[in-house]
Amino acid sequence: MPKDPQSDIPARFRVAKTTLLVDRFMNQFIKIGGLSIIVAVFAIFVFILAQVIPLFRDAKVEELKAVQLDAAEYAILGIDEWSELPFALRTDGEFLFADVIGERGLTRKSLPFVTEHGFGAAHYNQLAQRVAIGTRNGKFALVDLHYRPVHAPGGGRSITADPRPGPLYDIGRPGAPITHIAYADAGARKLAVVKQEPAENGGPVELHAVSLTQRRGLVGGGQISVDRSFDLTPLVPGTIDRFLVPAQADAVVVATTEGEIIYLFRQGDRFVVRQTFRPFPESPGPLSTFNFVFGDVTLVVGDQAGSLKGYSLYLAPGAEQRLFGHTKTFPAQKAPGTVFANSVRNKAFVVGSGSHADLLFSTTEDRRWGKSFDFAVTHAVIGGKYDRMVFLDDKHVLHFYRLDDPHPEASFRAFFGKLWYEGSPAPRFDWQSTGGSDDFEPKLSLVPLIFGSLKGTFYALVFAVPIALLAAIYTSQFLKPEIKTVVKPVMEIMASLPSVVLGFLAALWLAPIVETRVPSILLLVTLVPFSAFALGYLWTHASPRVRVLIPHGWEFLVFIPVLLGVGYAAWQMGPALERLLFVVTDPSTGARVADFRLWWPTVTGTPFEQRNSLVVGFMMGFAVIPIIFTISEDALSNVPQSLRSGSLALGASRWQTAFRIVLPTASAGIFSALMIGLGRAVGETMIVVMATGNTPIMEWNIFSGMRTLAANIAVELPEAPHHGTLYRTLFLGAMVLFLLTFLVNTLAEILRQRLRSRFRSVE
Amino acid sequence: MALARPSDFAHASAPAPGTFNPAYIQVKNFSFYYGHNKVLHSLALDIPERQVTAFIGPSGCGKSTLLRNLNRMNDLIDGVRHEGDITVGGRSIYDPLLEVIALRKRIGMVFQKSNPFPKSIYENVVYALRVAGRNGKSELDEVVERSLRGAALWDEVKDRLHESAFGLSGGQQQRLCIARAIANRPEILLMDEPCSALDPIATSKVEELIHELKKEFTIVIVTHNMQQAARVSDRTAFFYLGKLIEYAATPDIFMNPKNPQTEAYVSGRFG
Ligand SMILES: Nc1ncnc2c1ncn2[C@@H]1O[C@H](COP(=O)(O)OP(=O)(O)O)[C@@H](O)[C@H]1O
Ligand SMILES: [Mg+2]
Repeated sequence: MPKDPQSDIPARFRVAKTTLLVDRFMNQFIKIGGLSIIVAVFAIFVFILAQVIPLFRDAKVEELKAVQLDAAEYAILGIDEWSELPFALRTDGEFLFADVIGERGLTRKSLPFVTEHGFGAAHYNQLAQRVAIGTRNGKFALVDLHYRPVHAPGGGRSITADPRPGPLYDIGRPGAPITHIAYADAGARKLAVVKQEPAENGGPVELHAVSLTQRRGLVGGGQISVDRSFDLTPLVPGTIDRFLVPAQADAVVVATTEGEIIYLFRQGDRFVVRQTFRPFPESPGPLSTFNFVFGDVTLVVGDQAGSLKGYSLYLAPGAEQRLFGHTKTFPAQKAPGTVFANSVRNKAFVVGSGSHADLLFSTTEDRRWGKSFDFAVTHAVIGGKYDRMVFLDDKHVLHFYRLDDPHPEASFRAFFGKLWYEGSPAPRFDWQSTGGSDDFEPKLSLVPLIFGSLKGTFYALVFAVPIALLAAIYTSQFLKPEIKTVVKPVMEIMASLPSVVLGFLAALWLAPIVETRVPSILLLVTLVPFSAFALGYLWTHASPRVRVLIPHGWEFLVFIPVLLGVGYAAWQMGPALERLLFVVTDPSTGARVADFRLWWPTVTGTPFEQRNSLVVGFMMGFAVIPIIFTISEDALSNVPQSLRSGSLALGASRWQTAFRIVLPTASAGIFSALMIGLGRAVGETMIVVMATGNTPIMEWNIFSGMRTLAANIAVELPEAPHHGTLYRTLFLGAMVLFLLTFLVNTLAEILRQRLRSRFRSVE
Repeated sequence: MALARPSDFAHASAPAPGTFNPAYIQVKNFSFYYGHNKVLHSLALDIPERQVTAFIGPSGCGKSTLLRNLNRMNDLIDGVRHEGDITVGGRSIYDPLLEVIALRKRIGMVFQKSNPFPKSIYENVVYALRVAGRNGKSELDEVVERSLRGAALWDEVKDRLHESAFGLSGGQQQRLCIARAIANRPEILLMDEPCSALDPIATSKVEELIHELKKEFTIVIVTHNMQQAARVSDRTAFFYLGKLIEYAATPDIFMNPKNPQTEAYVSGRFG
């Protein structure tokens, strides 16, 4: 047994065992408590980080299977939506289906009409699983692949395909061979375009189009027949190389062998040239790559040197029509791209040349993946769910790859940089996570949200800081203690108001009032402080005979009625001010109306919204005022009385003492109060969610709303699929918020320590 | 404590009586209450101009309370009340038409515990001028030097005027507070146990300073320390339980007290 260290101490000096035990226990307890807080904060950070990191991973691609096909020439490579049964179409018209999941090997299907009329060209529509085939003698047919899952009796499922051709249509010059074909089906509008080379007659290359209509049967769709034919050859200067028909079936985009692009647009019963441009004026010659990315708004073009650019359709300011403009520059390729395939789920595409292939993402211009194979790629296709890729090589081997790229839209630039989104006339910071159509391009910039957080915080603090600080100074330095004991608990009750209540009040009560009474509020915020100053001035210059009537610390009894009166008058005078200053001509009626809501947009060009920053600033100010007030009041009250006495004894007034001695001495505490208030405002969620329109805009306009990082998480997280890109992006937003507050707090703490050592006062 | 020795007295250097107003500050039948607690009982005494008057008496007898009433610093405390009057230069300090700020500019005060502001030495000294709106650099520089010399601190701090006042030792801080109090040349200087927190060397410096200052200022000093009262003051008032027991020229109080309580106190038999 160890010797009791106290045994040689006289009993009266010994410390009781329980005292020591409690002391030790409390020490440990506090240590464990402190550590677990640090651990908890760190764990939250790690959890958020774990959610965020996958966003920044590159695509992972691995080969699953290779299948040897016939030694033949192939026109197109395609794949079913389950990515189990890819096909290749031989240039003699035979379909080869390769079962890459099961053991069925190759299945073949040839189409009699191709054998009969000869194969000219083919075009694959992956979304519709339809192939348009043009023949050697000026006809074309649409072949539906009829992919279908078949459930085997013993369980298990396999995919089968049954390519069935529709009727043959005549197109262009009768009998002339079709060497390129494109087809688009936009429901009511269907358009087939072919390039014909009547080589026998030595004639030039011709471009023909037909529009098709579908007669509505009683049940389902009826027969499709040719509606109108167009000869587009005269519209194209130079030699036609290739062309594309966008899914909207309203245009043809033609590339010539000189490297020029002609954008033909259908207007009624004819086509017109809408735009002619050269993407690579410095390198004439045929384009290597010339394809749409999914959505058919962005054109990927490549030159013979390997440069790759994106051109998007957008409406430039002042323009009347959407034209192609250079919006993207992709990483340069080592060799001109000869193989192209776009995803039908997002804006990704594969460009291949020789034995190299790159997976690029149009929105971010990002290279998701790239690889040099030990074979030369001739065809590629991306699975419908963006989870498989198939390559065909020059030795007729079909390579089946797994593609693991869950977050192709994500990149540092996508979150924090400007991107040139499709349809937009300029690069922008934009947040719009979901859209109506399948080919929607998610816009995931956090910058408007960070901006919104700062804007909300700014307006809240503009409102809260002067009120809270002045109130704290007044309460601590001037007010009688009897009243002080009432004011402080009331403020603390105010601090405990749930923000959802404040948000509710802001949205349903305050916003409608503010909307109609902006001039009153303008008067209020100018007249009330002004009259306070004026009254203060008058009071100090009043005869002491008047002043002795009011004991020190009770002056507010004079001020409050005056300020209430001025406030009431300002409120009532608002409409008069509106009639005087804010008169505009109503654009719809032409009448002159006095309405600030119309005046503001006409004069400043920025919108006026009912749920705006003024309302948010006001209500969030309410949430922040009690915090700033309570903490800074404590700091001010803790300034030693000896310093105040010292100042007063030297003939300083109470205000001079407050501003010259008390305020600087309490500055560290006041600074903490401001920072805690700022932290509350930055992280405040419910008030912003309810009191603003949550529009992620980037303007300081006080009469428009904002979307903050915190509100964004609250609004979108319930809708975000687990572990999807949006889900993880919201966590990234949370991390930005976390880092933002961490940064602000750290800076604040450093500054606070400095202030504290500078204004350290005698105790 | 032994009775003070005659050589301790300052009256040898006192100016000839009659040169100055012998009733510059008049306390007239003055009573003072903290709430219901009456701590000063109908005091009456006249304090002469440009002399040092010491208030002595046991702790809690109301010396500080009376002193703080002279510049109305007690106004800051809640629930206080007074009866009677105090006049300075013939005018009541409780005159409602009198600005209390102006009164305090006239009456400087040095506290028991030094209380420099969290500012530089320079700014501490010029504070009274700054709050009066006097910001001329040359004037301030001059005042700083004069005040610090007046407080016998100039030589020690002249090279670090713009450093924090907290870098000074306790005695230096107290002399800084004196410099600060005399910067605006008040007429009266109130000192509430200015040396109680100082070591003997610092104390003797402050006492020498008081000798110097009385040429210019009317000084009222509260002290606990009998020898100090004897050394620095011309007149001494002895208080006991809120009553003025005896008030006379300092040598009389110490050598020849009339009241047995005074005698008991100055001879150290209670206190
Ligand atoms: N701020 C105050 N509030 C209430 N009572 C006070 C206050 N200051 C002093 N007193 C009381 O007044 C009496 C005189 O105090 P004080 O003037 O400080 O005495 P002294 O300076 O002679 O030691 C004491 O009984 C003290 O308790
Ligand atoms: Mg005292």
